[in-house]
Order: sequence, then C-alpha cells, then structure tokens
Amino acid sequence: MTTAQLDKMRLELRRGVLVLAVLASLKQPHYGYSLRQKLQQDGIDIDEGTLYPLVRRLAEQELLTSEWRQGEGRERRYYQLSELGAQLLDQLTAEWQQLNGALGSLLGTASQEKQ
Amino acid sequence: MELVQRYIAAVQRELPEDKRDEIGRELKANILDQLDALANYAEPSQQQISQVLQQMGRPSKVARQFVPARPLIEAEQMQTYLYTLYIVLGVLFVIQVLGSTVAWLDNDFGLLLYMKSVLSGFVGDACLAFTAITLGFAFSQQQGTSLDNNNWQPEKLPPVDAPWQYISLQDIFTNLATYAFVLVVVWYPATLSPADLAEKSVRLSEHARLALSWFTPVMLAGVAFCLWQLRERYWNRTMQWLNIGLNLLSIAMLIYLAAAGPLLEMNSGRWVEVIGWERLHRAMTYGLLITACFPAYEVLRDARRLWQARS
Repeated sequence: MTTAQLDKMRLELRRGVLVLAVLASLKQPHYGYSLRQKLQQDGIDIDEGTLYPLVRRLAEQELLTSEWRQGEGRERRYYQLSELGAQLLDQLTAEWQQLNGALGSLLGTASQEKQ
Repeated sequence: MELVQRYIAAVQRELPEDKRDEIGRELKANILDQLDALANYAEPSQQQISQVLQQMGRPSKVARQFVPARPLIEAEQMQTYLYTLYIVLGVLFVIQVLGSTVAWLDNDFGLLLYMKSVLSGFVGDACLAFTAITLGFAFSQQQGTSLDNNNWQPEKLPPVDAPWQYISLQDIFTNLATYAFVLVVVWYPATLSPADLAEKSVRLSEHARLALSWFTPVMLAGVAFCLWQLRERYWNRTMQWLNIGLNLLSIAMLIYLAAAGPLLEMNSGRWVEVIGWERLHRAMTYGLLITACFPAYEVLRDARRLWQARS
C-alpha cells in the first residue's frame, strides 16, 4: 500500500472520530487554539485547517453554543457543548463504545489468526 | 501584523459575503493565539508571522475549508440527472432531424449541408438543454427538493438473462430519428404544390414515393415500437419477434426499391454537369442494398438470441 493510500484511509477513519473528540472536549468552554492544545494533550493531533472549520460547522448545527469574550487584551470566541450537542454526544458515545467493542473483538481475532 | 491583515483579507475575498466578517474575525483570533504561542507572548517577528500563515495554508484553501464548495449536482442525484439529460437530448435529436429534413427538402441544399444542419442545430439545442437541466437540478437541490424517486419494487426487476437484454437509449433514439427522417422525406413533398415540386433538383420518383407511402404503417409501427422500448428498456421475446418482423419488412422494402427502377427523379438540367444519371442510379441501388444490411444484421442477431434463449 502506498503512503498516499494509507493517508487517505487514515483520514477517512479519523473523520467521524474527530467530531466525537471535539464534542467530548467541549464539555468545558474552549476557544479555537486552546481546544487544539487540549486535543493534542489527549493524543489527538489535528491541524488548524480541519479543526476550526469543523467547530464552526458544529456550531452552525446548534450542537455548540459560542460567545465572544475579552481576555489578554483581545477577543476570542469560546465554544461549549449545547443541550442538543450533549444529547448527541451521549448517543454517539454509546455508538462508539458498541463499535469499539465489536472492532476490538474482530481485530483481536484477526491478530490471533495472524499469529 | 499587516501581513496577518492581508492574509485575512485574502481569505475573506474567497468567502460568501454574509460570512466574511464572522470568519475573518475568528480566523484573526486563532492566528493571534498561534503567534502568541510561537513568540512566547512577545511581539512576533515577521518571519514567525510568515511561518504561521504558511502553516495555515493558501487563503483560497482556508476559505474552502470554512465554506466547502458544493457541487452543482450531488452524487445521490446524479443517476436521475443523467437519465433526464439523455432522454431530453434524445428527444431533441429526433426533433432536430425532423426540422433539418424539412429545411433540406424545402431549400434544396446538399447532403453535407444537411448533416451540418442536423449536427449544428443539435449541438446548439443540446448546450441549452444541458445548461437548463443542470441549473434546474442545482436549483431544486438548493431548495432541498429531492428528485430521486424511491418508489420501486424488487419484483419488477427483469430476470437475469443475457448482457444484451438492456436496450440503450442511444439505439432507441437512433431508430426514432431514422423513422422520423424517412417519414418526412416521404410525406413532406405531398404538402408542396406541383410547381414547387418541379423546381426541386432532386425528388423521390413516383413509384418510390408510392411504395414508401404504403410502407408508412410499418414505419409508424416502428415509432410505436421505439416508444414501447423507451418505456420497457429490456428485450423480451415479443419485442424480439416484433423487431425481426419490422426489420424483415424494411429489408423487403429496401430490396424492392433497389430493384424496381430509379429511386429519384432529377432535374437533369441542374445536375448533368455534376454527375451522370446512370452513375447516380447505380450508386443509389448499391446504397439501398448496403442499407438493407443493417436490418438484416438485426434480424440475424435477434434470431440468434431467440434461438439461444430457447436452448
């Protein structure tokens, strides 16, 4: 498999998971840069070009609330999970756990067969 | 910081007007946060600013990430869109053949000019239809109207038989255009006065016109058959037998026309310097016989398919 193919598949694999990660991280309010740092600290590396538009799209879907606040001499837009977003996060989390369990068992079987 | 302003302005230029201020404001806040982190909350150097902006990416790319481009036709609509397009283009082709044939018979121009008239007229109409259909689909998509019809029943799918059982739209419309052409050639002269007819440099001979007018019901049956194919789109045994019958009648008519004397009557005074009468007659005879090979091929093909389906 070429690097380009691997990159494309990784991107597809991560796309849905990133929404879950962003929603989960925004239980506490964050502005763009601080959210990116939090995700990085938790082991999810995401570039600005993906993160900032994603956060805006989630806010447009009313899954996040946002407000401009003044701090350190300039304004920042803070995002936080809305009520609708919290409901969706619960559902997505259950879905993720079910998928993760099924995949874990599938991948575990596959690695045992390989051995 | 002037570089940051220029960068944000370049991104904003690529955005829809109603989103420029909001996204520009947010982008600026994000860039300044990154610069703070890079310069450790000191005044960032020009090089550091440039580095952050490079990392963000080309302004047009950033704008597309915030407001992704929407295709005119979504993937889910593509099948319906293409089907509509092919049907409309097919109908336009038949109409163009009709129109060009009338103009050809009316104005007495050559065969090449006739073909050019069909082609250029069709291309013009096709461009207009393509634009109108594409914009129509794009508009309905924007309004959130789905043109996809989900009312289908698996039981109505045809049985899996042979790869040729699906009738292509191209075949149907080519046949329709051929019938339309011959019908106009046969019947249009009947609308002209004898004086106008005598003016024509070339026209169907009397016996050919009579034979073809007797053949009209077969051609009309052919048109109805094409319309039936357009509705069904799958060959079945009845269709194959009908196609064999229509093609056998066409072969008989073409051979009769080839054998029974001159197909055309000419105003020899206008043609004698171009081509000899005998030579043209021979060319027409061979032309008819060669044309008869096409339905003959279809007869053999359909008979073979029916034979294979039986065994």
